[in-house]
Parts: sequence; C-alpha cells; structure tokens
Amino acid sequence: MDIKLRELSDEELILEFQKNNTEDAFNILVQRYKNPLTNFVFRFLGDYASCADVVQETMIKVYRYKDSYSSVAKFSTWVYTIAGNLARTEYRRQRRRNIFSIDDYGEEHKTYDLPDESSRPDVITDSGIKDEIIQKALGKVKETYREVVILRDIQGLSYIEISEILGVNEGTVKSRINRGRAQLQELLKGIYKE
Amino acid sequence: MKNDEKKYEDVIKALKGLQEVKAPENFEADLQRRINSEKFSKKEKKSFWQNIFVPAKLIPSLGLVAVAVVMFFVVDTNSEEMDNPFLIEPRVREDVFAVTEFEEVEKKQDELAKQKSIKKEEPAVEMKTNEGQLRSSELKSSEDESIAGRDKSKLDNILTDENDADQNQGFTAGAYSAVESTLTEVTESPQPTVPSETSSGLVTGQSITKEELNFRQVQLSEKEQKVVNELKNQVQSMERVDKSQK
Repeated sequence: MDIKLRELSDEELILEFQKNNTEDAFNILVQRYKNPLTNFVFRFLGDYASCADVVQETMIKVYRYKDSYSSVAKFSTWVYTIAGNLARTEYRRQRRRNIFSIDDYGEEHKTYDLPDESSRPDVITDSGIKDEIIQKALGKVKETYREVVILRDIQGLSYIEISEILGVNEGTVKSRINRGRAQLQELLKGIYKE
Repeated sequence: MKNDEKKYEDVIKALKGLQEVKAPENFEADLQRRINSEKFSKKEKKSFWQNIFVPAKLIPSLGLVAVAVVMFFVVDTNSEEMDNPFLIEPRVREDVFAVTEFEEVEKKQDELAKQKSIKKEEPAVEMKTNEGQLRSSELKSSEDESIAGRDKSKLDNILTDENDADQNQGFTAGAYSAVESTLTEVTESPQPTVPSETSSGLVTGQSITKEELNFRQVQLSEKEQKVVNELKNQVQSMERVDKSQK
C-alpha cells in the first residue's frame, strides 16, 4: 500500500487523502514538500526557527483544509501559496517586532544595521559565509521581489507556476524577478569581483 | 528573457549555488503531535448549549432573571413619581378656570341686565293703561326670562336686577299687585311654597319656572297675610278709582 502510494503524483495523493482520508498519502506529501518549503521559507525569512514553524503550519493547513484543494490546480502551486502567505505574515510580524524593539531607543525612527566585519568580501573564505552574505542580501531585497527571485532562482519554478502562486500576471512576475535580481546584484557587487 | 538572464548571470549562479536548507529531523513527529493535539481539542470542544447550561453560568443568570422579575413587579412603572416631569401636562387650576368663566358670565349678565331693563320699562308704561295686560305681560316676561335663563347665576342676576329696578323706580301698587298675582297664579296656591330642588329644572337644566328660582321666600303668618290682603284691596280700590276717573 505504502509503495503504491509513493508511486502516485502529488495531485493523486491529495485526492486520495481527500476521498479516503488516507493519512499515509498526507505523510508522503509531507515528506516530499517539507524540505523545498523549508528552503523557500528560510530564504524568505532568514530565520530557521520561525521557518520550521511556518512550514509546519502550512502542513497543518493542508491537513485541515484538504477539501478546499481543487484538482484543477497543481498541488505544488497550492502548497506554495499557503506557505508564501504564512511566510509573508510571519515576516511582517517580525518586522513590526524589530521596529518596536530597536526604534524605541533611536532618536529618529530608522532601523540600524549592525556592522559585521566577518561578512566583508575580503574576509570571505568559506562557502558557508558566502551563503550567509547572500542570505543577508536577500533579506534586504524588497519583499515582493524577494519572493519571486527565491521561487524562480532557488526553487526553480516556472514563470507560470509563480504567477499562479502569487495570483499575478506572468509579465508582472518577470519584471519583479528582474528588479529583484538587479537589487541583489547591487548588494552583492563585492562578491562577484572575487 | 535570455538577455536578462545573461545580465544577471552571476546573481542567478550565486542563488542556485546556495545550500539547500532542510527541515529539522523531528519535523514529521512534531507535525503529527500538533495535528493530534488539534484533533483532541476538537473532540473536547463542547456545543453551544452545553456551554450555556453549565452550573457556573446558569446560576448567576437565573439569579439575574429572578431579580429582574422581582424588580418588574415591585417597581410600579406607571406611578406618577416615575413619570417624566417634562412630559406631564400641567394640572388645571380651578381658580383660574373659574375666573375665565366668570368673565363670560359677567358679560352675559350685563347683556341680560340690559335686556331686562328694556323689558321692565315697557310693562311699567302699559301697567298704567291696562291692568290685565300688565299682569299677563309680567307673567309672560317672567316666564320667558325663566326659560331663557338656564343658568342659576344668570337667574339670580335677573332677580337682583329686578330688585334694583324696583328700588330705583319705587314699588308701585300696580307692580306689587302684579307680582303677587303672578305668584298666586303660577303656584296655584294661596300660600307660596318653597320649591323642591330635586324636582326643579335647575337640576335637570330644563326650563325653569319662577318658583324654582333659588331666591328667598318668606312664609307669611296669618296676621301678615291679612295685612297683605288689606293692602291688596286698598291698591285695587285705588286702581278702580283711577280707572273710573279716566
């Protein structure tokens, strides 16, 4: 039974879960999507602890609202939409929290970037540190651009899939991706020189 | 599109070269625990009616209802004290009301007095010419006045006007006899009697005769009656003399 389920596609598994309430089908979907979603949410939020919570919350929503899934759409599109919405909500919540915690001590209402000498381009020697720099740069890219860049260049989704996930036109997705890449290129100038 | 990808080739490479972040090892276990806890909490969830009829909520609410019922029966919402003073119509003051009526009554009394004085003058002239006509006119006028004046106050005023007129003009023998005769004719009895108030038109508001008027009537003694009769005879004899002279 388990072997047969593993051979099914995502859409077939969710239908099986919908019709027969097969928990194994749901578990296989969790195994398939837990890492991609964790990667996506982590790159968007930059915080692993909250990322794990968001992905778990996404899976719980899939479990609870399985009947709201329509077989017309791809399962990946549906689950990324849920994860993206939850990630955005969490990101805004974190940003509010940071604004209130840091700005209260500032004379002017602006956030402060703490200097990190280890992230300087001339100090970079390790790929892990390089990842960290890119992640910080991603965090500085505007929210709407960051999401599409992650979905396209990290997750490897097509433009159509991204447009379905975000509910916007394909052209809008492309322009957002270009703007996001441009911002990122500007932020990562030093790395490329090396 | 390919141009754009070439333009940002370095960025795309950097992003694709990022290490994949994996979910924690206990991810599925935590997920199952959370799902089961939600299932458990759903089973524990009580219905709306079960939540209402919990003794902790039921007792205070019943107490509140009991207090409300008691207050409803104890407090008289229709009492005058509870009325809004701005919405209550002021009570009618009887003295003010009487004054306004009195003004109207005074006007009517003045009008009646004028009419009376006019009528009084006419029979005084006729009295000299014809005694019989005078009597009948006096009787008619008095009856008409009594019929017309349905108000007690008006009738009293008429009587006072009569008395005033008599005092001013002097009580002639003919007039006196006429009055006496009308008294005897109307009552159809030798002695004037006090009319009963209940049977009179004053109570019912119907036509009022002179006997029913509420003026003072004196019961004459036999001696006084004799004196009056003598005076009557004298007056009659004087009238006859006058007639014979004319």
